[in-house]
Amino acid sequence: MLIDASSMATLGAGVALAGGLAGSSLGIAISGAAGAATLGQDPRQLRNVIILAALPMSRAFYAFIFLILVITTSIPTIEAMSDPSGSGFAVFGIGIMASLAFGVSGAYQGSVCAAGIAGLSKTEGRILTNGIMLAVFVELLAVLGLVFSIMALSILGLM
Amino acid sequence: MLISPESLAVLGGALALGGGLAGSSIGLGWAGSAGAATLAEEPGQLRNVIVLVSLPMTQTFYGLIILILILTTVIPNLSTMANPSGAGFSVFACGLIAACAECVSAAYQGAVCASGISLLPKTKGQILTNAMMLAVFVELLGVLGLVFTIMALSMLGLF
Repeated sequence: MLIDASSMATLGAGVALAGGLAGSSLGIAISGAAGAATLGQDPRQLRNVIILAALPMSRAFYAFIFLILVITTSIPTIEAMSDPSGSGFAVFGIGIMASLAFGVSGAYQGSVCAAGIAGLSKTEGRILTNGIMLAVFVELLAVLGLVFSIMALSILGLM
Repeated sequence: MLISPESLAVLGGALALGGGLAGSSIGLGWAGSAGAATLAEEPGQLRNVIVLVSLPMTQTFYGLIILILILTTVIPNLSTMANPSGAGFSVFACGLIAACAECVSAAYQGAVCASGISLLPKTKGQILTNAMMLAVFVELLGVLGLVFTIMALSMLGLF
C-alpha cells in the first residue's frame, strides 16, 4: 500500500513541526521588524529587544518534542491497535491540532512582543517585565497544544 | 505503478526545494523593494542595502541540501525498509516540514530586512549590525527546519 498507517502518523507529526516552524518564523519576524524600528530610535535597548524578539522561538521546540513522541512512541504501537489504519489517520488529526496551536500562537505572540518592543524606548525598558508576562499568556496556549495533543494520543491508547 | 515510493520521496525533496526557492523569492522581493526606496533617498547606502537584501537567499540552499540528501541517501535506503511504500510517503511528510520552514522563514526574514533597510538613512547605516542580528533569529528557524528534517528522517531509520 502506498500510504500506510505509520506514514499517515508521520505526516501528522510533520504537519505539526511545519506549523511550529512557520509560527516561530512569523512571530520572530513580526517582533524583529518592530525591533529594528525601535533600535533605529534607541540603540541602547538592544538587550531588551533581543529578549522579546526571541520569545516566539519556543514553538519550534514544542513541535519537535511532538514529532519525537509520535515517531518513537506512537508509531511502534500503531501496529498493535485493533484498527491500525484508522489509528494512523487519528494521529494525523492530532497533528493538525498541534500544528494549529503552534502556528497561531507563535504568530500572535510575535504581535504581543512587537507591541512590547514598540513601548521600550518610551518607558526606558521598564515595559520588559510586563511585555514578557503578556507574551507568556500566548505561550501558555502553545504548551496546552502540546499537552492536549499528548493527552489525546494517550486517550486513544497510542502513547 | 504510477506513483512509486521513490517518486513520493522525490516529490518530498522537490517540495522542500520549491518552498526554499519560493520563500527566498518573496523575502528578496520585500527587502529589495524597500532597498530601492532607500537607495533613491540615499545612494551611499548601497553596500548596506545589498548585505541586508541578500540575507533571505540562504533558505534556497537549505532546501537544496534536503533534496540532495533525499536523492543520494534516503532513496537507496527505501527498498531495505520493512514497508517501502509507507516509507516513501513518510519521506514526503518530512519534505513538507522543510518546505514550510524554509518558505515562511525566508519570506518573513525579508520583512525584518526590509524594516532594517528603511532605517538605514536615518541611522546613517548604524542599524546594519542590529538588523542582521534580528534577521539571524529568523534564519535560525530555517536552519532548525533543515536539522529537524534530517533528525526526523534518521529517527525513521531512513538516513
